[in-house]
Amino acid sequence: MLRKLVAAVSIAVLSAFAAGSAFAARGGIGPPGPDTPSGEAISRLYWVVLGLCAVVFVLVETALILFIIRFRRRRDTPESAEGPQIHGNTRLEIIWTAIPALLLAALAIFTFTQIPAVQAQGIEDEQHLTIRVEAHQFYWEYRYPGGEVTVNTLYLPVDEPVELELTGMDVIHSWWVPALTGKMDAIPGRINSLRFVPETTGDFEGKCAELCGIQHAFMPTTVSVLGQDDEYESTLASQQETLALGKATWEGACATCHGLSGEGDIGPSIAGNGTLSNEDGLKTLLENGQNTSQFDYYMPPVGRGWPPEQLDALMAYIKSNETLSTAPPTTTGGGG
Amino acid sequence: MATRTEAIAPNWKEGSVTSWLTTVDHKRIGVLYLVTSFIFFGAAGVMATLMRIQLSHANSGFLTKAAYNEVVTMHGTAMVFLFVVPVLAGFGNYLVPLMIGARDMAFPRLNAASYWLFLLGGLVLLSSFLADQGGAQCGWTSYTPCSSEEFSPGHGQDLWILGIHLTGVSSIMGAINFIVTIHNMRAPGMTWMRIPLFTWAIEAYAVLLVLVLPTIAAAATLLLLDRQAGTTFFAPEDGGPILWQHMFWFFGHPEVYIMVLPAMGILSEVIPVFSRKPIFGYKAVAFSTIGIAFASMLVWAHHMFTVGMPSYLQAFFAATSLAVAVPTSVKIFNWLATLWRGHLIFRAPLMFALGFIGLFTVGGLTGIMLAVFPFDYQAHDSYFVVAHMHYVLFGGTVFGVFAGVYYWFPKITGRMYHERLAQIHFWLLFLGFNLAFLPQHLLGLMGMQRRIYTYTQGGIFEWYNVISSIGALLMGVAMLVFLWNAVVSWRTGRRVGPDPWGADTLEWYASSPPAPNNFDRVPYVTSARPLRDLRLRLQERET
Repeated sequence: MLRKLVAAVSIAVLSAFAAGSAFAARGGIGPPGPDTPSGEAISRLYWVVLGLCAVVFVLVETALILFIIRFRRRRDTPESAEGPQIHGNTRLEIIWTAIPALLLAALAIFTFTQIPAVQAQGIEDEQHLTIRVEAHQFYWEYRYPGGEVTVNTLYLPVDEPVELELTGMDVIHSWWVPALTGKMDAIPGRINSLRFVPETTGDFEGKCAELCGIQHAFMPTTVSVLGQDDEYESTLASQQETLALGKATWEGACATCHGLSGEGDIGPSIAGNGTLSNEDGLKTLLENGQNTSQFDYYMPPVGRGWPPEQLDALMAYIKSNETLSTAPPTTTGGGG
Repeated sequence: MATRTEAIAPNWKEGSVTSWLTTVDHKRIGVLYLVTSFIFFGAAGVMATLMRIQLSHANSGFLTKAAYNEVVTMHGTAMVFLFVVPVLAGFGNYLVPLMIGARDMAFPRLNAASYWLFLLGGLVLLSSFLADQGGAQCGWTSYTPCSSEEFSPGHGQDLWILGIHLTGVSSIMGAINFIVTIHNMRAPGMTWMRIPLFTWAIEAYAVLLVLVLPTIAAAATLLLLDRQAGTTFFAPEDGGPILWQHMFWFFGHPEVYIMVLPAMGILSEVIPVFSRKPIFGYKAVAFSTIGIAFASMLVWAHHMFTVGMPSYLQAFFAATSLAVAVPTSVKIFNWLATLWRGHLIFRAPLMFALGFIGLFTVGGLTGIMLAVFPFDYQAHDSYFVVAHMHYVLFGGTVFGVFAGVYYWFPKITGRMYHERLAQIHFWLLFLGFNLAFLPQHLLGLMGMQRRIYTYTQGGIFEWYNVISSIGALLMGVAMLVFLWNAVVSWRTGRRVGPDPWGADTLEWYASSPPAPNNFDRVPYVTSARPLRDLRLRLQERET
């Protein structure tokens, strides 16, 4: 009675999941995307391996449930009664060793055939737009071939092959924009390459996938794929204006921990703090970070590797912003 | 040897505290291991519950960010180092000498030292929470440079390292003890093809521990030196972060099989007894244990598909990872064949064993999916992996552990557990587990990354999290039912004789609970089922 009830509930829950998944955005039970050829190749592989696993799953679980029903001890059989004493069957065992081995070998070979598509191979190296991705606690810095810098938003021209050169500036991060392609780690002391071809315009949301510290959950990025005429060039240029770059840097590098108006969050309140207008002091602090017992958490070296104009831009933005450059009348700090 | 009957241990007063503190009896040490690891299991389970409360709705502020990272780190570390590995050591300690007809482990004092080091290691590890600037916060993998002095200041990470060291030394000592015992102290007539399959699994578990634990011990030592003595073993300029990952996973992946193989061994004991049949294909099951152990040493870098390895290396590790599925599926088919035409007796041990088969199959299959590395580029570090790993380690190992707890409960305590409560425990846990972890596959596919303390999405994303949290709470309730059953039955359960199940192996030849010297004499072993042979001989004599 209890068993039947639980079984019924389990089945209902399972079907609810299946139904929920079917209605979920983006197909629900598939990986996100695909908006690039690489993403498409990953999805293709996913459906093949999911199909194979689903068949095995159904076979094994069906056998299990059938055996449970068919071979349960009947009331008239004493508990001590033995079943037939079958010790094995070599031929059968060879068969059920060989079949999985062959299936898995086939799966491995099919996987290998998809690698060129997944890694967007077959395009000449020099045809790529190469962008350096510097991952920091807790933001993404993008450095373009013309010396441009953007923070947290990566601008890309549509249909142009892109190669990201990823590195970590402090700890390991992992760049993951699911709709475009798989993730790639950004590791200090090492440059990893990630290639793909964005084929649709629009904004794609991404995140950091590798535990990188206290704000790991909030290290978002946006990939903005722009139309080809000169939308890309003009947008990128507009982001290089001093105040725009300064604002993006403040919001990416500082505000995550100190709050949008410097009111303090996990970092202390810094609105109106003298260091913000002291170029040398600020530079030292940003490049080296700081760990004092005064605060619960250390300040990471967020400004490591910045081009000089980025610090200027940040200072200009702070100066232009009244809340940041003058101390608020009363602050309590620990908001957020 | 077999004719000596006096106890090895000095004759301390029965039941007094000193007798437990000074015991070198493998059964008492086994009980200490089991009880202590279940207490740590409770602690790590409470941490899991805290995480699920935090994640039960978007933008929750139940835990602080730092506290969440500490709990994430300690839940994983404690489950692996303080629960699964030692609980299996507990079963091994209690059962291996009994199963092979020995009077104790080969080195009883070393055995006691292993246990006390494990307890000390556990306390040191948990004391990380009390450290200035908080406990370790870089996950159970403690990747560098996150775990370096610069990015994890304070002593939380150092205590984590020391805890790993102590439990590691304890496990290595215990493993050597198991190997020596199994190789040298088997009953007359017990050849390698007559050893109980659980003992085979403990042999593989012990060999793997001896092979891979020194790697994590070395890695942790180097990390400690980097943090405290200013060395640069894991400095980024020299490729240090990748070196740590190789050292960690060279240990870490075999560790998964260290945690699964003995649970599989429990299944290979329980399923035949409760089907009233012999195991189907003893040799295949034994050799697949060795096969899995061997292959498990060759797959470690499948945890590193996104660190930028050359394609040929990724292909190699994908191929070896897929290959592990072959001996694993052999085991599942052999268990199913053992059920076939049996008279299945649905008591808690069999139910948990069958739960293992059903759930582990899911974890094994998602493991195949993750070995297909382009898919891993999407799924890696997402909740898909969290779900996969819990289907293997909880749906597999923990269900296997409960099968073992109920199966050997009458042997260890001399009393029977309460069957109906055990069945309630099973169904609550089965339902709660699937509610908690099934939706996490979908969350991973929707892009939820691991180890985040909160999320902002609503809608179905949040609903899956709600369901998962409800499942986690249900699992907590199931554990309380188990705790109640275990405590009450241990005190007041129905008394049982030496062999309440009609089992096959020698531990059921001893009284329940066994005398300090285990056996006065051991029968000559002529098959893998010595106790059944004995039963049949007795029946023949009667008729």
